[in-house]
Amino acid sequence: MIQFESVTKKYASHLALEDINLKIEKGEFVFIVGASGAGKSTLLKLITREILPTSGKILFNGEDITKIPNNKIPILRRKIGTVFQDFKLLLSRTIFENVAVPLEVLGYKDADIEREVSQILEKVGILEKANDFPTQLAGGEIQRTAIARAIISKPEVLLADEPTGDLDPKNSLSVVGLLDKISQETKTTVLMATHNAHVVNEFKKRVVVLQKGKIVKDEKEGRYETG
Amino acid sequence: MKQVKQTVKQLRRSPYQALAAALAMTLTFFVSSIFVILIIGGQIVLNYIEQRPQVIAFFKDDTKETRINEIVSDVKSTGLAKEVKYVSKEEALQIYRERNKDDPLLLESVTADFLPASIDISVNKASDINKITEFVKQKPEIDKVITPENLVEELIKWTQTIRLGGIVFVSTLVAISFLIIVMVVGMRIALRREEIAIMNLVGATKWYISRPFFIEGALYGIVGATIATFFVYAIILFYSPNIQQFLGPIRIFPINPLFFLYLWLAELIVAILVGTVGAAIALVRYLRV
Repeated sequence: MIQFESVTKKYASHLALEDINLKIEKGEFVFIVGASGAGKSTLLKLITREILPTSGKILFNGEDITKIPNNKIPILRRKIGTVFQDFKLLLSRTIFENVAVPLEVLGYKDADIEREVSQILEKVGILEKANDFPTQLAGGEIQRTAIARAIISKPEVLLADEPTGDLDPKNSLSVVGLLDKISQETKTTVLMATHNAHVVNEFKKRVVVLQKGKIVKDEKEGRYETG
Repeated sequence: MKQVKQTVKQLRRSPYQALAAALAMTLTFFVSSIFVILIIGGQIVLNYIEQRPQVIAFFKDDTKETRINEIVSDVKSTGLAKEVKYVSKEEALQIYRERNKDDPLLLESVTADFLPASIDISVNKASDINKITEFVKQKPEIDKVITPENLVEELIKWTQTIRLGGIVFVSTLVAISFLIIVMVVGMRIALRREEIAIMNLVGATKWYISRPFFIEGALYGIVGATIATFFVYAIILFYSPNIQQFLGPIRIFPINPLFFLYLWLAELIVAILVGTVGAAIALVRYLRV
């Protein structure tokens, strides 16, 4: 599904990623872990083509996405849902309107948007908050909104960049549990960047550990030891 | 249609910027309309004057009919005259009566003997007026020659000045409107930066993101051109009796409403062009997708 082949990314003099070789299969749930500055976010940004690698190839369904022209990037991004630590919700829009954004972009009709958004809000457990604004919601609910927006267009891959960063332990487990459920039900590939060892160790998934831009460990049902 | 509604919704969130842009467009196209009407009106006046006799030569009372005919032939033979028309004393009386039909006091004691016979001469070129005037003045039977002097040339100068002034003035206003559109759309892009970033991440194409801004630019143009044409139409309609009275026999009014329809359509095209190109410049300058 996603394959990194000898990928290196340099920012001026700083080496963010070095010689990354990583293969992720369809439907896999993978934790990308490491300390701040280890290169987790860079890795995810390379998949969404927000940035280009300095060298190497990134294959998405067999196609090298480093070579695709700019006008094809939206097509790639429609196959990817993204959840951010800072949520990136539009504060002037209701929860319903925020979740509807990807469908509007895809040109869905109003009636279809209404149905799809209601279904997804029910799935993530915040249907009763549909008409509220993001500022009226608690942290866990906001992150569920962000997840709803990320999965509403049924992406093949779900990227989550520190989705539990601003949440308490209970809400963190709940949010990751939701991502796991989505992955299992829809066979969506999930890549979650985190440095939350508690969450990683609770779910017993594949764990890829980054350190100073290099993969230092890649284990199925792995653990993340921070000590 | 959905995007037009969304754009209008966005405009209502910051109405003052939208108002500034729409007002600039309205002013530009209001002034443009006025200049277009002045230029067309000036041309109508010019055509009218050019078609009128430019030299009128009055005969002395005792001039014989045969001699008048000879002089008419002489004038025609110069090749400078487009038309030479003899106006007898009786015809002159008829014209006098027609012009003064509303004033019986002026009609009472006037007979054909009071009025001189004349020849009305239209020239091929305005520059020949002096030559033909000198030619007829040499005839001893001619009592008096009147010419509109350099009226036509003056009018040509005036219409050219209005045209040139109009082009400069309207171009300046179009440039100002254009810059205001670039600025207003640029500010809107900045205000929606976060939303644009999110749209970009969920797979919106550049065109999808840009489209509302193009619609916005076009809307300013449509609103501006429509209000401007409506105001000009209303003003012309209101003042047409006064202007017509001033112009006397030169018939300009009533102006066919179709003229205003064509004016509106032409301005609409230019306004939409100004609005969308302005938006395009703002997008190139400020939108980083």
